[in-house]
Amino acid sequence: MSETASELIDTTANIERSRTELESAAALPQRASSLETRHLSHAAGGKVLVDDMSIHVQPGEVLAVVGASGAGKSSFLRLINRLDEPTGGTVLLGGQDYRGIAPQQLRRRVGMVMQTAYLFPGSVAGNIAFGPHQRGETLSADALAALLERVGLPGYQDREVSKLSGGEAQRISVARMLANEPEVLLLDEPTSALDETSARGVEELVMSIVHERRMTCVIVTHNARQAERIARRTMMMRAGRLAAIGLTAEVLHVD
Amino acid sequence: MWIELQNALTSGVLIGLAQAAGAIVLCLAVVMLCRFFAVHVERESLISIARGLVQMVFVGMVLALLLRGDLLIGALILLMMTLAAAVTASRRLKGVAPGLLISFWAILAGSGVVIGTMLATGTLKSNIAVLVPVGSMIIANAMNACAQAAERFRANVTTHIGQVETALALGATPTTAVAPYVQSAVYASLLPRLDMLKSLGLVWIPGVMAGMMVSGASPVYAGIYQFIIVAMILAASGITGMVAVVLMRQRTFSAAAQLILRQRPQTAA
Repeated sequence: MSETASELIDTTANIERSRTELESAAALPQRASSLETRHLSHAAGGKVLVDDMSIHVQPGEVLAVVGASGAGKSSFLRLINRLDEPTGGTVLLGGQDYRGIAPQQLRRRVGMVMQTAYLFPGSVAGNIAFGPHQRGETLSADALAALLERVGLPGYQDREVSKLSGGEAQRISVARMLANEPEVLLLDEPTSALDETSARGVEELVMSIVHERRMTCVIVTHNARQAERIARRTMMMRAGRLAAIGLTAEVLHVD
Repeated sequence: MWIELQNALTSGVLIGLAQAAGAIVLCLAVVMLCRFFAVHVERESLISIARGLVQMVFVGMVLALLLRGDLLIGALILLMMTLAAAVTASRRLKGVAPGLLISFWAILAGSGVVIGTMLATGTLKSNIAVLVPVGSMIIANAMNACAQAAERFRANVTTHIGQVETALALGATPTTAVAPYVQSAVYASLLPRLDMLKSLGLVWIPGVMAGMMVSGASPVYAGIYQFIIVAMILAASGITGMVAVVLMRQRTFSAAAQLILRQRPQTAA
């Protein structure tokens, strides 16, 4: 083998290795961060919605939040994303107090999928590119196609969002959130507004992405079986307070 | 001053009051007719008619006294009108603090820029007898534009809380999160004035033109002047609507970019 051919093989191998590394980086782009709440509280309209909540979620861990209606689950999640301002305590993202992070930057790093998809009027592509556009970035056609492929809706770029089913809309909202490459994922009953088949599909999709990207994830659910399926640890809320936290089977069994 | 007032009260006032009585009789007849449709507006109508008549007679008397006043007095009258307009428009801004200040600055900006421009270009004379009636028309329309913009913005934001918070959750700034609602609110404040311009001369001949023609001005010049007034009303409405919505937007979010304008109190979930 000539020196030139040898160099060519080396170069090809290097390119292949770089490509694999890039693909790997694309699949696992996150710097999974730990999430901690310290004495987190929130009161509004004279009512305490979240009361002295202190928890710690390890990087890459999935924590389920369960509790009856009005227990403060969604209010707790909104505080983590800083959509509401805590009246006491704080949140640490990767060990850093989140009040030291600009709200727009914080929300990019802490992605949230709500119960309803709330897609913006227009095309699927416009919705998915929304997050990067806020930072002055353009989502490439390849990246858009890859995200749609990942959520099981290839070729949906030009679809009008008004013509999507509930399950499809929620998948698009997942892709839209992923386009921001968040480190932490907050899920507020993302499947509760869907029929059983769509709900199961979205749940499997979200969890596969969470595991594949090793994202730190907090999911609110009213479904005990869903908590058992997806989270090793579960915390239970009651009247805005932390009632129990531990292994899912134990917490749900205690209740 | 007393002679001015006496002249104002004697010249045609009795005839005017007799004509007003005729108008009141017709209004009351309509009010009675409304009863057949179970619409009971007797009390409200009587109060409105009485208030309207007393207010207009009072304004006429005040103007009679001030007709020979200078620009400063005219400006003070317009400022008082702006304040009254702000109080009225601020009723649509309940829950947005400080609603009165927002309305005041918005109406002042819209009517101030337009009246100032008209004075500077000579379109409007500093003569108080012209300045106050024309200025009041502009202020009244700015007031309506302020209320319409504020109402539409509040309604749109409070019915789209999910979309606004989704945009925030994706890293959007408050300005971006409510951009579609700012746009529709400003449009809502302009639309009636755009319709006014479109229908000018076809559907209605406004008061200024009618008044000028009655007092012997050339109908063509009266028409052109009326167009200028309506165009200025459109400009004042646009400025007022934009300023009102921008000031409201600032108070719609907290310093940490959290939506604080809400329709109903928060509940735990």
